[in-house]
Amino acid sequence: MYRSISGAVSGAMPKALRQILRTPMTMIGIVLVLAHVIVALCAPWVIPYGPSQLAGMPFEPPGDRFLLGTDVLGRDYLSRLLMGGRITMTVALVGVLIAIVAGAFLGLCAAWFGGLADEIIMRLVDTKVAIPSILLVGVLIPGFGQSVGVLIFVIALVYVAGVIRTVRAQALTILPQSFVAAAVLRGESSLSIMLREFLPNVADLLCVEFAIRMSSAILLVSSLSFLGLGISPPTPDWGLMVSEGVGFIHTDPWLVIYPSIALCTLVVGLNLATEGVANALGLDAARGMVKG
Amino acid sequence: MLSAILRRIGLSFLILILVSLFVFAATEILPGDALDVSLTDDDLAVLTPEQLAEMRAALGLDRPAAVRYIDWLSGALVGDFGTTILTGAPVGDIIWGPLRNSILLAVLTTLVAVPVAMVIGIIAAWWRDRAPDAIVSTGAVVGYSLPEFVSGNALILLFAIWLPIFPATITLYTQGPMLDMLVVAVLPVATIIIGSIAYLSRLLRLGLIESLASDYVERARLAGVPERRIVFVHAVPASLVPTLNAAALYVAGLLSGIVVVETVFAWPGLGLELINSIRKREVTVVQAAVFLGAVGVIIMNLLADLSIIALDPRVRRGAGRG
Repeated sequence: MYRSISGAVSGAMPKALRQILRTPMTMIGIVLVLAHVIVALCAPWVIPYGPSQLAGMPFEPPGDRFLLGTDVLGRDYLSRLLMGGRITMTVALVGVLIAIVAGAFLGLCAAWFGGLADEIIMRLVDTKVAIPSILLVGVLIPGFGQSVGVLIFVIALVYVAGVIRTVRAQALTILPQSFVAAAVLRGESSLSIMLREFLPNVADLLCVEFAIRMSSAILLVSSLSFLGLGISPPTPDWGLMVSEGVGFIHTDPWLVIYPSIALCTLVVGLNLATEGVANALGLDAARGMVKG
Repeated sequence: MLSAILRRIGLSFLILILVSLFVFAATEILPGDALDVSLTDDDLAVLTPEQLAEMRAALGLDRPAAVRYIDWLSGALVGDFGTTILTGAPVGDIIWGPLRNSILLAVLTTLVAVPVAMVIGIIAAWWRDRAPDAIVSTGAVVGYSLPEFVSGNALILLFAIWLPIFPATITLYTQGPMLDMLVVAVLPVATIIIGSIAYLSRLLRLGLIESLASDYVERARLAGVPERRIVFVHAVPASLVPTLNAAALYVAGLLSGIVVVETVFAWPGLGLELINSIRKREVTVVQAAVFLGAVGVIIMNLLADLSIIALDPRVRRGAGRG
């Protein structure tokens, strides 16, 4: 796989943009993601009832007062559905951003310093990779408790290892380049070389990493909420709403179907968009994709 | 080659020790010990400090953390995970039955997913960038994006409620006969393989496309070897190497998926036991379940890497991967 080094990416941009606009699946993905982001941002101002407000009787059918009916406790389902992605998206966003920043730093350190630092960082990465994500969260929750803060921390912990691996592999291909040797000869410090010579050359890779890890993190946070290990009631959250509705799947399947559709359109959209944009930039999104 | 193999086994052992340290430290050292974690606030309000100290001594928690860790690890390595904090039952009695049921689920899934993914991957690579490839690739992205609790409930709605063909939840005992488990395994396995097939077929497609573009395939083409023979005799075995490289990620993803699927279908496996133990705060069961999951990933990753050494002459001659 050929990858341009330093600067050439911006020249490739218009061509990449044309390819993105020409691919219908990519455009569908981008539209889905934008729609979800807009709904999540605007939800607090458009919802008819408070998401945790006991507005009616339990299991009221859809009608004029409640467009999608009410849930198990008599809360307006539409309001909860519109609000249901906000916390998951926020937790995933903050957690993944921390993972990207920390992973880029540690990956560059591993590649630049090599030797013992590389060995220690990579063995810790191997250790994390050996523990499946949901088990990793499971073993932390009894001791650390269950809160949004802990959830953000575990999301960062889950995704930092993959970022370190990708950044380190890319940085090792940059290491033998002449501009790195030139910076060393100029007497630049390690930190300055990492920030000014390496970081710009892994930036596009980090963007793809961010998008891939985001969709995976949204899936993970939702799955954790479904299992009762993630976001706690009464917060409106799609994973939690599915687990609350699943006991009534025989009589009121919509309680499960609506939040499932909301979650899937977001994640499918994110993955279609990522795949299309990564293809257009000549990056390889598939290999980095990690579920759970 | 022998040194590469020994080096690789040593690495696995090192990771196993690091995992055990992490599992132990996560539950026993920070921020309290196993007893603090196990007791609820209500318990703590009733118990006197003397009673707590007595319970600590009975559980051996008054010993230094390092001693307890060595004790726990030496037990864990021979399959002895101690007793539960709250009831005092041996952890082994609780986990071995569920472990068997989870392994059954993992093996069934992999047995179905690998051949299906190979066929799909070959189709996509053969008609690369044409309609079949586009359909497969988009299908893989969608399949990949479905969380197990959504696809599982969708299958329950479709094939257990609207078309009552299969049972929605599993009502068997943990020690139920294998054959009965196979019948009820259809929907759980169908749920997990969606993600597995999507992931594996994408990897195989990429591996195939890379090996079809390699020098030796080009030489075989120039020598007049038929394309079909090139694909099946040369490219498919070569494409297995990048797929085997992803074995750790595949197994880890599979195990996470199994935890969710077991919860959706009430499948009496280790994942369901883990979730229940987290709710009941049975820390020693949680430790054992997570440790065993990691052991599974480490062993499968080791086997995959050893297969790569056996498959790939370049790796075999070299000093192994870093």
